[in-house]
Amino acid sequence: MSQVELKNVFKSFRHNGAALEVLHDINLTVAQGEFVCLLGPSGCGKSTIINLIAGLEKPSAGDILVDGKPVTGPDASRTVVFQDAALFPWLSVLGNVEFGLRMAGVEPRQRRSRALEYLRLVHLSKFVHAYPHQLSGGMKQRVAIARALVLQPAILLLDEPFGALDAQTRSVLQNELLEIWELARPTILFVTHNVREATGLADRVYVISSRPGRIRDAQAITVPRPRHAEDPALQAHQHKILGILGEEVEKVFREELGETVHFPEAQHDAPPDQSRGMHI
Amino acid sequence: MGIVVRLMRKVIHTLFPPGYSLLRWEALALFIALWELAAWLSPSWPSLLQKVLPVLWSDFTDPEFCQAIVGSARRMAIGYTLVMLVGISGGILLGRLPIVDQLLGSLAVAIHAIPGAAWVPLSIIWFGMTEWAVIFTILLGAAGIVIVETDTGIREVPPIIRRAARTMGARGLNDFWFVVVPAAIPKIVGGLRLAWAFGWRALMAGELLTSVSGLGQRLNQVAKARQLDQLLALMLLIAAIGIVIDGLIFKRLEYEVRVRWGLV
Repeated sequence: MSQVELKNVFKSFRHNGAALEVLHDINLTVAQGEFVCLLGPSGCGKSTIINLIAGLEKPSAGDILVDGKPVTGPDASRTVVFQDAALFPWLSVLGNVEFGLRMAGVEPRQRRSRALEYLRLVHLSKFVHAYPHQLSGGMKQRVAIARALVLQPAILLLDEPFGALDAQTRSVLQNELLEIWELARPTILFVTHNVREATGLADRVYVISSRPGRIRDAQAITVPRPRHAEDPALQAHQHKILGILGEEVEKVFREELGETVHFPEAQHDAPPDQSRGMHI
Repeated sequence: MGIVVRLMRKVIHTLFPPGYSLLRWEALALFIALWELAAWLSPSWPSLLQKVLPVLWSDFTDPEFCQAIVGSARRMAIGYTLVMLVGISGGILLGRLPIVDQLLGSLAVAIHAIPGAAWVPLSIIWFGMTEWAVIFTILLGAAGIVIVETDTGIREVPPIIRRAARTMGARGLNDFWFVVVPAAIPKIVGGLRLAWAFGWRALMAGELLTSVSGLGQRLNQVAKARQLDQLLALMLLIAAIGIVIDGLIFKRLEYEVRVRWGLV
């Protein structure tokens, strides 16, 4: 049985009085312990899917099931890592990681030792007493990951967690996330707009189109880890995804910028080993 | 001369690191120069360096004057403590309970709209020409801003912070005390800083009109005796206390809170 299941999910928001449909008939499943990426251009509603599974938003129609039961609200068994970390600035790094344990009523000594253990896991032992404003973007995301993992969630939801980081930091954190996942084996849903990131990390990639978000494709990536960007099998996946998304990106640009934008043919056919076109 | 200035700067910079310097020294020098120019041009205007500051200095040797300062300080301390208690708890109640906000929210704004000095007559009717009339004036002159700012801070917690907290199991009172209130602290501190300024004004107005022994009442005395140098000395002292307390405590506190909360 799949652990997370979205059945015929629709979601609309009110925007200037009119209903704006962001998700259209989404069906997806995630098995226990699976690493799934949701990949799509900005504005395709992939973050909304994360929010729905987290219980932060309710679908307009359809069912969201976790372990066969409908999601009714947020729960510490489904933790979220947000793109901008969303750390509590008034708490130290340790305080941030202890937060969820404190909410759960764990006694101080135990929550401290558990928080320290997870801070070690994300290599932040030296920064236990620092405050968020003193940390770099990458370090903030490490805290956010530790803060989400310390609650030992069954499902870890990551909403473009590395989107704002430089390429070097991103690649380091991707590898560390994989290591942690192999260790603790939570189910992971990872949202990204980066094709290389999705294919490098996931067991399966859902490709989502925009306005409204629809699932266009789902690809199982069976390439064993550790994966290398030059692996031809990965490149084949990337190429296929870019083909599907190329039309999508063009559609988005045309909607946003009007018909004056010219798209050279080459953009769709760019070989996937070039970084061009990797970020959609 | 240059060495002295540099040494002074060094001391000042250690005491007040850049970012919350109390006064610009150039501005201070300009102020003194303009004052002395006015004194030189007009015979009725007393020189700052030769007249007003020596008068202020000799005032401090007068035990009555020192008692007046202690009296003012005591009233301000009591008044401001009440302002903090009433302001923060009132703002929290307003922010937490919609019903309280509907009933009393506009009342807080109305109180905030009345200048501190305008409370003095009512205070005198209720408390007579006593110290408590002055303290009541401080309370009503300054609590409104703390209530309003605390309330605003509680309402304007960034949504992403609330969402993050909810995913980690925060709800109800836990969510309120461990997320909403701390997130509102920059606004609360901003309100407390303004409340100091409003309270200080209210204190002076209260003392001036109730003739309770204090700095405000002395203003009244020296003005009646037409002692311009005394009056100016007192006003300088009142300004200096206002600036120094604001700079040493509130400006600094506000700056540090804003840095930690990532607002700078």
